[in-house]
Amino acid sequence: MSREDLTMTPNGNVGPAGGPGPASSAEGGRTPASGTGDVARELRQRIAGQFGRSLHIRTLDTGSCAVCEQEIRLLAAPHYDLHRLGFFFTPAPRHADLLLVTGPMIRAMDVAARKTYEAMPGPKVVVATGACALGGIYPEDPFVHGDAGKVLPVDVWIPGCPPSPLALLHGLLVAVGRLAEKTPGLTFLADGETR
Amino acid sequence: MTAVEPRAAGTMQELLRRLDDLNGIQVRGAPAGDTVTVSVPPGELEAAVHRLAGPGGARLADMFAADGDAATLRLVWGIDGGAAAGPRYLITESVLDGQQYPALSDIAPAAFVEECEIYEQFAIRPATAKPLNRLMLPPHGAAELPRLGHQPARPAEEVHALRTVGGQAFEFPFGPVRQAGVETLYYGIVTSGEEIVDLYLFTWHKHRGVEWRLRGRTPREAAFFVERAEGLSAVALGWAFAAAAEAAAGTGPPPPAARTRAVALELERLYNHAAAIAGLCQATGLTVGQSAAEIALERLLRLNAAVFGHRYLFGVVEPGGTRREPDGEALRRGLPGAYGELCRATDALLRTNSFLDRLEATGILTAEQVRRLGLVGPVARAAGLAVDARQASSSGDGQPQGNPYAGCPVRVATGDGGDVLARFRVMLAEAAESVRLIGDLLDAGTGAGVAALDTGGAVRSGLGWAESPRGEALAWVALDGSGRITRARLRPASARNWRGFDDACRSQNVFTDIPIIEASFWLTVAGMAR
Ligand code: SF4
Repeated sequence: MSREDLTMTPNGNVGPAGGPGPASSAEGGRTPASGTGDVARELRQRIAGQFGRSLHIRTLDTGSCAVCEQEIRLLAAPHYDLHRLGFFFTPAPRHADLLLVTGPMIRAMDVAARKTYEAMPGPKVVVATGACALGGIYPEDPFVHGDAGKVLPVDVWIPGCPPSPLALLHGLLVAVGRLAEKTPGLTFLADGETR
Repeated sequence: MTAVEPRAAGTMQELLRRLDDLNGIQVRGAPAGDTVTVSVPPGELEAAVHRLAGPGGARLADMFAADGDAATLRLVWGIDGGAAAGPRYLITESVLDGQQYPALSDIAPAAFVEECEIYEQFAIRPATAKPLNRLMLPPHGAAELPRLGHQPARPAEEVHALRTVGGQAFEFPFGPVRQAGVETLYYGIVTSGEEIVDLYLFTWHKHRGVEWRLRGRTPREAAFFVERAEGLSAVALGWAFAAAAEAAAGTGPPPPAARTRAVALELERLYNHAAAIAGLCQATGLTVGQSAAEIALERLLRLNAAVFGHRYLFGVVEPGGTRREPDGEALRRGLPGAYGELCRATDALLRTNSFLDRLEATGILTAEQVRRLGLVGPVARAAGLAVDARQASSSGDGQPQGNPYAGCPVRVATGDGGDVLARFRVMLAEAAESVRLIGDLLDAGTGAGVAALDTGGAVRSGLGWAESPRGEALAWVALDGSGRITRARLRPASARNWRGFDDACRSQNVFTDIPIIEASFWLTVAGMAR
């Protein structure tokens, strides 16, 4: 699976119309054929360069079916082992650099979603995760906004229903790039460390 | 650990006899089918519930309303006596003559959650002054949200633990956004610092109005949302829903397609049990065990993808049958290795006393509590109740061959401690049983095939069920003359079992037991809130 296959697009290009429709998203969870080697190497380098080997992820469920959460948990499991790459999950938004948002943005979560985002220190990136968050499952209606971008400033979109852990890793790679763009003047290097 | 044959319980005949002398009772439904429907006038409903729920009676499995010229209240009763007991579900149907019905939760406490839900959605309430809790619709903006029926004049009460806690107890709010990688859920924990005095949950943050969304769609269109109501039970809930639509249309899947569904269902159970075991290890701080279980979990998910084309088996079940055929060769080749990986992890766990000690006597639910609250799945079986919807799987045409398990009967695993350890052991036994069943089902022959759903222009309804990894999943569907849904009721096991969670947490448990108990229930908020 190449990065192009995942068709990650910047904010704005994937809306309810352009998002994966019901029929295609049902196929989204296929297991990638290749391993995690190349992605892992690139991620490790980028994170080490930008963040001194530590990037903290906070997750936010805005009405998922519970499967996206399962795939996110597996990121920390031995097959993918997020920690060796310098990523860590954090229960506290105040320690988070990156927000992984799942679900169709239920209106009842508006306050909690905003508070979670605002509690994160800048620079920060928001990653909409899965067809629900991309606007591919639920249309906008009285219950849901239908798309994470309606409430939060989404930087990266990861398609799939659910996105497999490898697709999530690809998405995180793109997100690290976005974070770097947001912080041109900062190197995030520890004292004495070089890239 | 014992694998027992289902216990003899009341049979359908015996239950129907209990209703004999009530006025205006009408029995409908094909006698050969798995479901019998009885019309009960509202005036006799209280007496009927008394008799059905009485000693040796049936289990109240669900209760829901539907709107029409007059509101109709339906109660679904499970008969857990195995094939010998005859039809498996009894539905009582009462057309109400007002906005009230007898206070059924006073007789069958399992009904309370549904009483709240029905009030919120239809403005129909039990004839009692008892406050009804908020369940699905959020406190802000609830008035504008679409409902299945009418808006109640008075809003539902906020759920709260008893305010009159004595001593030094205080309330500790937790959520709705919790630790990373878990679903949104709000706990209100009343504690004295360590011991859990009381606990209540808010699940309305995740209500997506799934039942409301299904109205006006054909069963095929609706199946897409049904699978995503609780993705970790996509097969089970999808099957229950498909079977309900098939029952309404009076048809069933071709037998090889029914066996394909059963293979997918057992694969769903395997990966969920592996995930629950990984969750138990995480909750007890056993990182090595967690990693070992997660390796097995990932292998099982990859096996799902190799066999059915989707890691979580979405799209396998569809109303009428299935369009996918399992790759039997890949399954036979991959299953021993993936399951072997799980056994390696669990064998080590069974030798780890610090792990077993942590589970023992934690989160106890007695058989009496389970029965009173109508709980299902491993939670019920670990307390000794052999409730398993696979004992007679639903088939719309009422033909025995529609049940893919008929040719390879399920040995239901039960325990007797009712604690987390008993649940863990039940899961292990069930995983082994799933592997055996998959082999038998493949031997019997699997395939694809979809029966046409045609109600012949008539208004019809049907009930369907399947045994999800977390317990019995139910669905009831009413179709209009054009084959579109007028009311669909989804009741995943999560909608049932969360009501036992606070009881399990209260009994002599401390703060740090909560994640362990939650992992042993292995429920989803998505399924509860729908
Ligand atoms: S994107 Fe798919 S898998 Fe993820 S939460 Fe939505 S329905 Fe579930």
